[in-house]
Amino acid sequence: MEIKGAVALVTGGANGLGLAIATFLSEQGAHVVVGDLDEDALSGLGGEFDHHVLDVTCPDNVTKVVNDIVKKHGRIDILVNNAGVIFNEPLVNIMNPEGMIHDYTRFRNSIAVNLDSVFLMTGAVVEHMIKGRTKGCIVNISSISARGNEGQTAYSAAKSGVNAMTVTWSKELGRMGIRCNAIAPGFINTGSTNSALTETTINHIVANTPVRRLGEAKEVAQAVVSVISNDFINGTILEVNGGITI
Amino acid sequence: MNEKLVSVLAEVFNLQPDQIVPELTKENVGSWDSLKQMDLVISLERQYGVTLQVEDIIQLVSVAKIAEVLKRKGVDLGD
Repeated sequence: MEIKGAVALVTGGANGLGLAIATFLSEQGAHVVVGDLDEDALSGLGGEFDHHVLDVTCPDNVTKVVNDIVKKHGRIDILVNNAGVIFNEPLVNIMNPEGMIHDYTRFRNSIAVNLDSVFLMTGAVVEHMIKGRTKGCIVNISSISARGNEGQTAYSAAKSGVNAMTVTWSKELGRMGIRCNAIAPGFINTGSTNSALTETTINHIVANTPVRRLGEAKEVAQAVVSVISNDFINGTILEVNGGITI
Repeated sequence: MNEKLVSVLAEVFNLQPDQIVPELTKENVGSWDSLKQMDLVISLERQYGVTLQVEDIIQLVSVAKIAEVLKRKGVDLGD
């Protein structure tokens, strides 16, 4: 796919990894639209990108924003499902006898933000792609945690679900010229990584990563652009993790 | 029946050409689900150079209807 001139929607694109992806796509010539729940961060984007306040867990809001974008730009060629929140909670916390077992509400919330959101966004966008015969590309931002990561029951389950949906949709939609791939970053040097992990943990991760460093957001953005650009990449979960396995 | 259309439909639905008759409907063909419908649309568009809109696609529920939609799109099926 030719990225120059394509209309790209990046969810959670006002900060961190999403912003890096939005910026890199824009540098490649895409018309980037950013959707994010963080209104302050959206305001901070200034006029760099067209942007919308977007709650990816709210079906009505998702439909409205997607319809508004299609109305303004005529179509959406690229959807990057980046919005999500890292969430850490083990199934059993033996240090908390009163609430030893993973809270169910927090489990559901994490699934809603990290998995349901991808379902809602992709459905809304693909409907327009099918109707408009857009040969589009969906890129889901997964995670190395999709393999299963201790301390991340809900997040790992959600990201594993994202991978499964990615492969399913690549099979269902490929015939219509719509490709679906996922990027599974490892540990990336972003604000959310640094706030979710202690310095000791980060040092341990770096020591166990063959390239001996965290990844940079732009390296994930480069992977996103790679899978969009190559029309024969479909149904792939591309790991971008410096060689670390968990 | 138009030979080319019979050939296209037989391939899409994995049927023998003699099974493709105007009376054949979505209900008679086990494999004719929503995914096959997308295969059908792409095959018809490629073979006949037409573009099918959603309102056309939902009418493609039988061989007779498929022929009807194609004719409406200006395709000459020779009958």
